Amino acid sequence: MKELLLTALLGIGILVLDILNLKKYVLPFILLALATLVGFIAADWGTIETPFGQTMLVYENGANLALGVFAVVLFFWFILSSSYFKQHEGKTDLYALVVFSFCGAGLLASFGNMAMLFLGVEILSIPVYVLAASKKHDLASNESGFKYFILGSVASAILLFGITLVYGATGSFDLAVISNFIQDGKDASIIMNVGITMILVGFLFKISAAPFHIWTPDVYQGAPTWITAFMSTIVKAAAMVALFKLFTGPFQFYVEANGYTIGVIAAVTLIASNTAALWQTDVKRMLAYSSISHAGFLLSTIIGNASLLSLLFYLLTYSIAGIIAFGVIKETQTLEGNPLKGLYRRNGVLAFAFTAALLSMAGIPPFSGFIAKYFVIAQLIEAKYFALVVVMIITSAIGAFYYLRASLNVYQHIENAGRIVLTPLIKWTYILLTALLVLLTVAAGYIHLL
Amino acid sequence: MSLTEIAFYFLSFLAIFSALAVILSKNPVYSVLYLIVTFFSIAGHYFLMNAQFLAAVHIIVYAGAIMVLFLYVIMMLNLNEEQEEKTKNWVKIAAVVSACSIMLILVSLISKSTYNMGKAPMAGDAGLVQNLGKVLYKDYLLPFELASVLFLAAMVGAVYLSKKETSKS
Repeated sequence: MKELLLTALLGIGILVLDILNLKKYVLPFILLALATLVGFIAADWGTIETPFGQTMLVYENGANLALGVFAVVLFFWFILSSSYFKQHEGKTDLYALVVFSFCGAGLLASFGNMAMLFLGVEILSIPVYVLAASKKHDLASNESGFKYFILGSVASAILLFGITLVYGATGSFDLAVISNFIQDGKDASIIMNVGITMILVGFLFKISAAPFHIWTPDVYQGAPTWITAFMSTIVKAAAMVALFKLFTGPFQFYVEANGYTIGVIAAVTLIASNTAALWQTDVKRMLAYSSISHAGFLLSTIIGNASLLSLLFYLLTYSIAGIIAFGVIKETQTLEGNPLKGLYRRNGVLAFAFTAALLSMAGIPPFSGFIAKYFVIAQLIEAKYFALVVVMIITSAIGAFYYLRASLNVYQHIENAGRIVLTPLIKWTYILLTALLVLLTVAAGYIHLL
Repeated sequence: MSLTEIAFYFLSFLAIFSALAVILSKNPVYSVLYLIVTFFSIAGHYFLMNAQFLAAVHIIVYAGAIMVLFLYVIMMLNLNEEQEEKTKNWVKIAAVVSACSIMLILVSLISKSTYNMGKAPMAGDAGLVQNLGKVLYKDYLLPFELASVLFLAAMVGAVYLSKKETSKS
């Protein structure tokens, strides 16, 4: 509960700092609060907390770990994006919106009740609609925010309809009651299956899986790059954690009955995104398609009896690689022409970090993206979804092609390269994150100890 | 047929008829007026279910606030003339076909499904203000309070988007 209070109060605190004219202390304040949050989670490790004796929110190890992953990613996001927001007039407003959205992510990690699930999804999404449109004078940004808003509202409506149908079938919003309803051997009526399908559709939209992925490239390309980084990491991760909690918890019977359908959705997601990404010339758009293809991997964790740990490991490695890649794109965006070409002459650290991030997304060792994909595929083989595994391997090979093409572009020779100067803090954060991509591979060996 | 049943069928017919009229009328102002009729007939359904509070809120929020906003936008943008449809024909056909098939699937599935809850989930007076307040401030206190975070975020967003920037970046 104190984690939730901390994030909500942090958002309000940022607004208060703005009123008091203390704008320059906002960033250290946020970083301190996020560090405290991680401290709280570490202190709460191993305990189960249900605020007010209700099961609205359940803070157990899985929820705490998910919240910790979001907090760590957000911490690095705030450091790296500081150079962009420093010049921004509405800096405090945008920071507050990001923190509110993170508050929704926290709810999605720990909800124990469908009412909290819906509130979490809305608190997560509504600030992001505004953030996507936050470049007010840029038409692409306006279009991005508007598209995301309209389509996201429809997805939320479908999700809500699904929740009401499940309520109609079971008579409760509580996840524990819903699971007991199934385990008591009561017949899951058609209405419940329809409801769960609609919930699944709502979440497929939020994690941008096929066939509800069409909005992703436009929205990701049009939004300000740092907001895209936030959307493709924390927003997606939070929605995925909620999906995972539902479909490996109370709705597991649905997954057992419809495993192949979900497998086909994952396969279609992988094929559609990777083949489309091949033809992209804009790196940001290519990364948007890459984000869709990762949704395919993430979605298949729910049919492969994967543990929450392996999902969170995937989310952490993908998020770190994501913020590096979008960050480097943002740092080079002010240059004309093909800004990534010959990046190694402009700034070696950025070039190396970008390559590491893309190779990690492609799943090439020693970067941790490899281990993350390995976990998913190993569990799918155990669950005997061989066709999906074949699709994954083929599409990963296609993926490796466009990731390598983009990273080779960075090492092309150019004349008259102007240097990109980074502040020491940002430079060392990029180095640290790149190192983390390798270190997580080692850490994966100890994952069973948790 | 009892009086309640007659009221139910009348309100249902009115709701469906006016909802169709919303999307079929060419003049946006008529659409908005039909939408008000739709909202009122749905509020009537809430009354039939003895949910007076919900009915009142529904009329105040939808028929009151949101409709005024709609009309205001239509007047501001001067949309009240009949407009040439710009959508392509095949888009319309595809939209109608997919919407109808979703409706068909939902109606057929929901009519086939059995409700095995045993008893009605709520007592008849569940929708009264007193009972609603008790549920809201006891069982659902946490979501109720957290909704304030949602509204605060929405408000910050709305203010940010409508605020004038001093310098054009």
